[in-house]
This record gives sequence, C-alpha cells and structure tokens, in this order.
Amino acid sequence: MKKHLGMFLCFVWVGMMLSACATTETTQKPYKVSPQGTVIWNDEFEFKPPPPGWKLIQVEVGGEFGFGFLRAEPGQFPSQSMFVYDEEPFGCSTKFEDREVEFFKRYLWTTALNIDMQILEKTKVNVLGGEGLAVVAEGKDPVKKEKARSKVVFGKRGDRVVAFYLTQWRHIDGTYDPSAFEIFDKFVASFKFLKKSFYETL
Amino acid sequence: MEGHQRNLSLYERFNARVVGVSRDDVTTLKYWAKSLDLTFPILSNVTGFLGGYFQVKPEPGTENYPIFGRRTVIIDKKGIIRYVRDGSPDFKDILLFLKKLNQEGGKP
Repeated sequence: MKKHLGMFLCFVWVGMMLSACATTETTQKPYKVSPQGTVIWNDEFEFKPPPPGWKLIQVEVGGEFGFGFLRAEPGQFPSQSMFVYDEEPFGCSTKFEDREVEFFKRYLWTTALNIDMQILEKTKVNVLGGEGLAVVAEGKDPVKKEKARSKVVFGKRGDRVVAFYLTQWRHIDGTYDPSAFEIFDKFVASFKFLKKSFYETL
Repeated sequence: MEGHQRNLSLYERFNARVVGVSRDDVTTLKYWAKSLDLTFPILSNVTGFLGGYFQVKPEPGTENYPIFGRRTVIIDKKGIIRYVRDGSPDFKDILLFLKKLNQEGGKP
C-alpha cells in the first residue's frame, strides 16, 4: 500500500513539475516559430527573424518601441546595430513627409544629445502592402566620439504611421557594416500584420 | 502629449476634447507645444492650484513649491470626474473609456 502511495505521489510531483514548466514557457515567450521558419509575434505580426547573433530585445511598458533585435559587433565601443518595429514612432502626422521631419526632431534624443543627424536620402518604397518612405541618415557626436548611421522605413497600419528603424553605432573612426542593413531590409520586407490593430477595431 | 496629439481624431469621434496642464510658464509651453506640433490647448498651472483641484498630492518634500506626478482625468459634460489614472497615460485604456462613455451618452 505504501509502495502504491509512494508511486502515486511521485507521479503527482512529476506532473506538477511539468505543468509548472509549461506555464513558465507560455508566459515568457510572446512569439512562436511557424513551420515555414517565420516568427509569429503575439499572434499579431509575422516576420522573418534575423540570423543567429542577433539578440531579441523588447520593451514591456513605457518604451519607445515594441520589440527588435540587437547585435554586438567587432571594433571599438560602441560598435553595435539595433533594429526595431515601432507602432508609435515619434511625431503625429499621418503624411510620411511630415512625419519624417517630426520623427527626426527626437530620434536618438535619449542616447545622443550631441548627435547631428543629416538626411542622406529619401526613397518612396512599397512596404506592408502599401506605400512607404525609406530615409537614410547619418550623424556624428564629436563629444563622445561616436557616430551613427540609420535607416528608417515609414509605413501604414490602417490610418496610422508605423516605423521600422535600424541604428548602427560606431566609434567616430570606425566603418559601417552594410550587412546589418541587408538583414534589416529582409526583416522589413517579410513583415506582415496578422490582424487589425487596436485603433482599426475601435 | 504627443500620444494625445496622435489620437485627436479618435477623441473627436468620441466627442472628447483634450487639455494639457503643466507647471511650466506660458512662454516655455508655447515653445514646447510648437516643437511637438501640438494643436490642443495646454494650461500653464504655475502656482499649482489645478493640482489640488484634481486632488493630486504633491510629491513628498515639495510642499513649498509643489511638484505633481502625471495624472489623466476624464470629465464628463456635467463636470463629473469619471476617470482618474496616475502615471504615464494608457492611451488604449483612455480610448476604450471614451468610447464607452460616448455610447452611454455621457459625452466627456
């Protein structure tokens, strides 16, 4: 009898351990991988993830963006690239040309007060199944001896402007790595909405 | 404030108007509103009396020159406070509340 009771308790204990693991798994990961290898994020977005070496970053509350990817790169500090998807990019306008001006008033303001971003090129693009605007900019911070090259792609979700942006940081004497921009472009091109946004359903 | 500006058309759909309140002086607010392209009114609450009106308690240690935390307040057309939340505004929560209030007929 004691043996049966012991086995029963053992099964209960193992069952509790497994259920605890399952709970942890579902609460920690906001994404799943589809059979095609794309990422389904919160059942809302689908995209092709970057190759290994890029670390997932996400902001739960009060952040400036939803989620993205970060890669540390060789070279003197601050050699790294980071790209994100942002549902609420800086600015308010629904016209891309106006939004771009508003956006760059505040872009990188928390990390680089002295950087003077200059727009290098603006191109009309197709993104998210519609028209969009891609902007490439560069800036230098002579005080911190850092520089950054960015690509920002504005698109529409419903009536609202959303954005993808990549920032590559380098020491002021460093050289930029175009491979990060190619990976970013693939990420943007693969990005799809799987359902309507909160604002579209209001 | 920029988030409110982004949602202005939705606020209008729900018959709501937004007004900002800040401790900064009028000149500073004018410059600030222009820099963010804000089109809704912002009240300069230099003396801080509006904080008391909305029952916001000053931060501890700032009683002589009160500094208030952020608070979102929704007032209906009868002047009754219907919604109070402290901290950064939760825009989705605000919009859902305004939609509900508008459907009830208690236009903000």
